[in-house]
Amino acid sequence: MYQGFDILKILHKISILLIILIALLITACNVNSRYDSEFFAMDTVMTVTAYGSESEAAVKAVEKEINRIDTLFSVQNKNSDIYKLNKEKSLSASADTIELINRSITISSITDGAFDITVEPLVRAWGFYSGLENTVPAQNVIDNELKRIGMQHITINDSVVVLDKDTSVDLGAIAKGYASSRVKQILRDNNISSAVASIGGNVRTVGTKPDGSKWTVAIADPDDNSLQAGVISVSDKAVVTSGGYQRYFEKDGNIYHHIINPKTGYPANEGLKSVTVISDDDTFADALSTSLFVMGLEQAKHFCKQYSSDFDAVLISDDNKIYITENLKNDFSSQKSFEVITD
Amino acid sequence: MKNHIWIIIFSAVIALCAAIWMVMQVTYPATKIIGIYHNGSLVEKIDLNTVTDEREIKLSDENGENVILISHGCVRMKSADCPDKICVNHGELTSSVSPIVCLPHRVIIKFENADDLIDVKTGA
Repeated sequence: MYQGFDILKILHKISILLIILIALLITACNVNSRYDSEFFAMDTVMTVTAYGSESEAAVKAVEKEINRIDTLFSVQNKNSDIYKLNKEKSLSASADTIELINRSITISSITDGAFDITVEPLVRAWGFYSGLENTVPAQNVIDNELKRIGMQHITINDSVVVLDKDTSVDLGAIAKGYASSRVKQILRDNNISSAVASIGGNVRTVGTKPDGSKWTVAIADPDDNSLQAGVISVSDKAVVTSGGYQRYFEKDGNIYHHIINPKTGYPANEGLKSVTVISDDDTFADALSTSLFVMGLEQAKHFCKQYSSDFDAVLISDDNKIYITENLKNDFSSQKSFEVITD
Repeated sequence: MKNHIWIIIFSAVIALCAAIWMVMQVTYPATKIIGIYHNGSLVEKIDLNTVTDEREIKLSDENGENVILISHGCVRMKSADCPDKICVNHGELTSSVSPIVCLPHRVIIKFENADDLIDVKTGA
């Protein structure tokens, strides 16, 4: 009788614990409610997934901000700052545009001109804008366009940007990074501590997954981007990949991709198939992935070593070798072998 | 004695639930639901595992035309009159982090019930 009374007490306690557990689970479900959005902007597809009770409002605020940025930086939208600047050569621009052009000037300087937003005439000559036909420009056309290239042709006085008369700019290699940085800020401002976004393939993670583990970000295999070359585990980072495989055309058996080397006027071809940059700074990661691709394998490895405290990178060479920076050793995995970039 | 009966009943209920769950798993295998979106709107959700006859879905507007081929367990873009044909060259939809996208025509085909170990993909 005494034993039976004990069991009854235990069952009673178990029941209370179960009720508490169910209540906690319901609360947790509410806290970690998930909201997804997928939309077209900046000539690409954006996906945002956020967790938390304010996730829907946060993601809607992100969509609104991306659409605002889209109208500022488009080369082809007649209402954008960049379209007006290229047409008029002088513009009292928005604070966002000024900030991004200033960042571009700084990054161009750090990368010794591998990053250059004045590459617009060359991108146009190769037909990499929508509505244009892809063509291989004649050498004399490339030589002429090269004379128009260089960040020294841009001047900023407070909120006014001035271009030399033959200069045009394209923020395509940095604008998505800036958008990504705004996504991060808006999510944080809306009390989101767990989110992941893809801004046309530029990844931004906020915090960790709801279970506290890191986000797993796959790097597309440059030879078949339905597959993955490797996986990185990150939290609170931007992860951006640039590769020639992303946009290209074929002419007379040759492949011509969209990342134009501002020094040669031709698609960059210095031994790399893709470059992935991992950084706290989305804008820097976006611009740097293009810059390292333009630099080529050896110079990129050297740059990675020189600025090892500022970012991490995964380089995939033309001969399919994978190189990673030292800090990624514990957060990168691949079915293929890889080499750590060391001194 | 009375308490022992309750323990036996409690255990039996748990065992019964487990048995029902296992039968459900065998009888109703995992779904493979895809969503087809055009200009941001859902066109159709389909469980590919329930598809028995092959069929085509045609989407067209002022931007152009896409033809989607649906068969058992499989979906792909059969044809599109977009300039780059990236959507057609994508082949079958195999991963929730690599949806089939036709950017010029604003068409997205993606898995709705993601079960990938990967959260997101960069560079695709």
